[in-house]
Amino acid sequence: MADSSELLQGTLELLVLKALSLEPMHGWGIGHRIGQMSREVFLVPQGSLYPALQRMLRKGLIRSEWRTTENNRQARYYLLTPAGERQLDQEITAWRRASGAIEGVLAFRLAEEG
Amino acid sequence: MNLLSDWRERVRGLLFKRRTERELETELRFHVEQETAHRIREGADPAEARRAAFLAFGGVEQFKEEVRDARGTRGFEELLSDIRYAVRNLGKHPVFTAAAILVLGLGLGASTTVFAVVDAVLLAKLPHPEADRLVRIYQQNPSNRWAISTVDAQAIVAQQQSFEAVGVFRAVPSGISGPNGPEQLLVGRATAGFFDALRAPVAVGRPIRTSDETPGAPAVALITDAMARQRWGDPARAIGQSITVDGISLEIIGVFPPATRELAGVRAELWTALQLETQPRRGPFWLRVVGRLKPGATLESATRDLAGISERIFPLWATGFRDQTAKLTPVPLRTTIVGNAGPQVNLFAAAVGLVLLVAIANVATLMLVRASGRAQEFGVRLALGAGKARLARLLVTDGVILTLAAGLFGSMVAIAGIRLVGEHVTDLPRVHHVALDGRALAFLLIATLASGLAVSGPAVIAALTGRAGASLRIDTRRTGSDRRTGALRSALVVAEFALALPLLVGAGLLLQSLMELRRVDPGFDPEGVVTATMALPVSRYGDYLAVQTFWRQLEQRAREVPGLSAAGMTLSLPPDESDETNNFDLLDKPVPPGGAEPTAPWSGVTPGYFAALGVPLIEGRMFTPADSGGALPVVLVSAAWANRYYPEGGAVGKQMISGGCTSCPPTTVIGIVGDVKYQGLAGNADAVYQPLVQGMARRMHLVARTSGHPAEVLRGIREAARGLDAELPVATATLSDRLGNSLAAPRRWTAVLIGFAVTAATLAALGIFGLISYTVRQERRSIGIRLALGAAPDTMTALIVRRGLRHASIGIVIGLGLTLLEERWLASLLYGVRATDPPTVVAVALGLFGVAALACWLPGRQAARVDAREALTE
Repeated sequence: MADSSELLQGTLELLVLKALSLEPMHGWGIGHRIGQMSREVFLVPQGSLYPALQRMLRKGLIRSEWRTTENNRQARYYLLTPAGERQLDQEITAWRRASGAIEGVLAFRLAEEG
Repeated sequence: MNLLSDWRERVRGLLFKRRTERELETELRFHVEQETAHRIREGADPAEARRAAFLAFGGVEQFKEEVRDARGTRGFEELLSDIRYAVRNLGKHPVFTAAAILVLGLGLGASTTVFAVVDAVLLAKLPHPEADRLVRIYQQNPSNRWAISTVDAQAIVAQQQSFEAVGVFRAVPSGISGPNGPEQLLVGRATAGFFDALRAPVAVGRPIRTSDETPGAPAVALITDAMARQRWGDPARAIGQSITVDGISLEIIGVFPPATRELAGVRAELWTALQLETQPRRGPFWLRVVGRLKPGATLESATRDLAGISERIFPLWATGFRDQTAKLTPVPLRTTIVGNAGPQVNLFAAAVGLVLLVAIANVATLMLVRASGRAQEFGVRLALGAGKARLARLLVTDGVILTLAAGLFGSMVAIAGIRLVGEHVTDLPRVHHVALDGRALAFLLIATLASGLAVSGPAVIAALTGRAGASLRIDTRRTGSDRRTGALRSALVVAEFALALPLLVGAGLLLQSLMELRRVDPGFDPEGVVTATMALPVSRYGDYLAVQTFWRQLEQRAREVPGLSAAGMTLSLPPDESDETNNFDLLDKPVPPGGAEPTAPWSGVTPGYFAALGVPLIEGRMFTPADSGGALPVVLVSAAWANRYYPEGGAVGKQMISGGCTSCPPTTVIGIVGDVKYQGLAGNADAVYQPLVQGMARRMHLVARTSGHPAEVLRGIREAARGLDAELPVATATLSDRLGNSLAAPRRWTAVLIGFAVTAATLAALGIFGLISYTVRQERRSIGIRLALGAAPDTMTALIVRRGLRHASIGIVIGLGLTLLEERWLASLLYGVRATDPPTVVAVALGLFGVAALACWLPGRQAARVDAREALTE
């Protein structure tokens, strides 16, 4: 766990859901958006996005369709499904609670130490 | 996880595999190009940008694999490849495949046929709604069960409290007018309550009502949909038509729905209203009663209710019917229809199950041999990292594919088998319900899959417990056979013998009992004896005088037919058509008060009957015309009857009260005649004859002995009958045929069981033959060494044969144990031989041992012929 940029297990899905909640995107776009949003903290092998996307398709969180890009290319776009939106809300809530708790733990000091 | 999206993705990955792969390829390429373009926009060198894009992406092939994993289609794809592999493998060994499919297919097909029979005959529901609440009511005393009298039926209908509906019925073959002359068809007579109890409504027209039951009410008829369509094309058009039954014209008032083909187990084409008149005495017992239990009523409460009726009416008729132990008793309708088919059907279900098990053991052995031939391949697979579970799945797939093919063949066997059963096993109740329906198909599928697991089981065990390293050696032949595989194979062969023996014993016992039955003296010489059966309709033969005149004239005219040497009339025909069973009370040996009176088959005959049949008068005198006058009732009894009731002799001259008629003059025994069987060849030869004229009946048989050609004599008799009444249907037969037909059922059961037994024994012999052949091949080297060291070739053969026979012996001993279990089912099918008849059991066991010895000797001889030098240098 030396590399601080390594993704926490399961976090990739949350990031993908968040990225797609803004607008439908193709795979590269999602990776690019995650990099932008995290100010390049999360650097993952871009390829690992695709197995994750396939798993999310099976879970019904996202769906895909082939669209034409601005450059007139065929690309596979991913869209959030209603189930995906619900999942995103739940995960954000859960994440906030967990990170708040961890913050609290880290900020905790015993009286004699302080 | 969302099930719908999950399966959509899996199915897409599976069905549109190529397209999905192409899309993945396109998508990933797009990604890399997009990344390259992005890097160029940010100022990178184009060639460098592309390299960096690939780098940032990571291992393309690795992620492709991960995506494929994420599709969740791996398991299916492996299964498909296993199936392809199994099919290819089976195709590579056509002889093995064909043999296995044949053996298993026959086993599965026969099992499915028997299942269909069991399902229809023993398990299936009757075609009536809520049929488990339907009961038949009988007269029953501790030793006997018989029909209901008019008085009983009327009392039940008036007094019962347990049934929501109760009806009375009776069915007899009758002459029905038809477009092509009169036909003999089964005609039912029933009260309105009968149809209510069965909840059998009519589809068109009106049902039979209680008003139709009043004696003298217009005669009405309900007919089946089939009959209505056949005669009038349309059920609606049949209503109002008239139809003649035994000379009486009936008006058709209703037609049953097409599905109603039988009522309470009676397949009558026509039902008419049963009109019961007031009776002067308790008997005769000739009716059937069916009732539907009220909700809440049980068989026990109905039994109490009916017993109460019996007690209440007993004193009213005590002068004529003195058996106080006889009680009206309800019996579930299903039991009465399925009857005693249970043991037979169970026996054959067990037999076919054993055959299937032997077949499975046989194919399992073949699979095991084949799997050990593939030990090297499996060793390589294991060494390359295939899991043992994966290997087991491969073997099971192999077995299941094989048995699925066998099951397909089995379904064809079952179709043929079910057709055969329907055509030939007509004495089985409800046999027309046997069909390859959904339940039978489900059984076939389950049996197929189960046998698939079973045949591959031993091979799986051998593969999983075998050592991977050992089989990697190139020369597997010289490592000797794997101990465990050998043990499994031996166990399978032992099992085959253990399973085959009970079948052979059963077949042997049935065969012996069939031969016993053929040895039974029916009491007459059937050669050249013919019978003609006729029933005189009430309409044209209104009074007894007309009936009597017809029969007397018929007998006279028949005697003039050329080629006929003797003729007589009778009510009962041997060997199994007894018209009536009557109770009697011997004056010098009376039954204690309240006890059950003895009964005997009772027939009316003319004196010519004995001559025609060739039955001798042993003691006393024959009937004379004076006996027919109706002065004092007299009877002739059979020797068996005389021996049973007067073992001390002196039966002639004894008197009895017959039919419980205490007010009638006593009946006198005037003579003893030779034994004739009326209750089947396996039954006893009790018989009582009374002179026919004292009680003429409408339905009678003319029996004639011919010296010429039987067919010509029968033609002459038909002409004689037509000369008296042109519209009378005449049913003819020869006594040889009747005798043969009475043996048809036991002969058929015996043939089927012998077929099963021979199949099982053959499979067992093939099994041990294969085992010993394999052993000899495996041990060529050691045999060669022994021969080279001076062992006698015959000794080698003996050694091999002895080893094989050890397996057979163990199997036979276990089989003897199993034989004891089948006794229960066999006993009721046997005649003149016990189910544990030691000579049969020993003979069969020795025979099977002999077959095993032969099957071992053939490959054993090969051992003696092993060329020592060749075997050693191989």
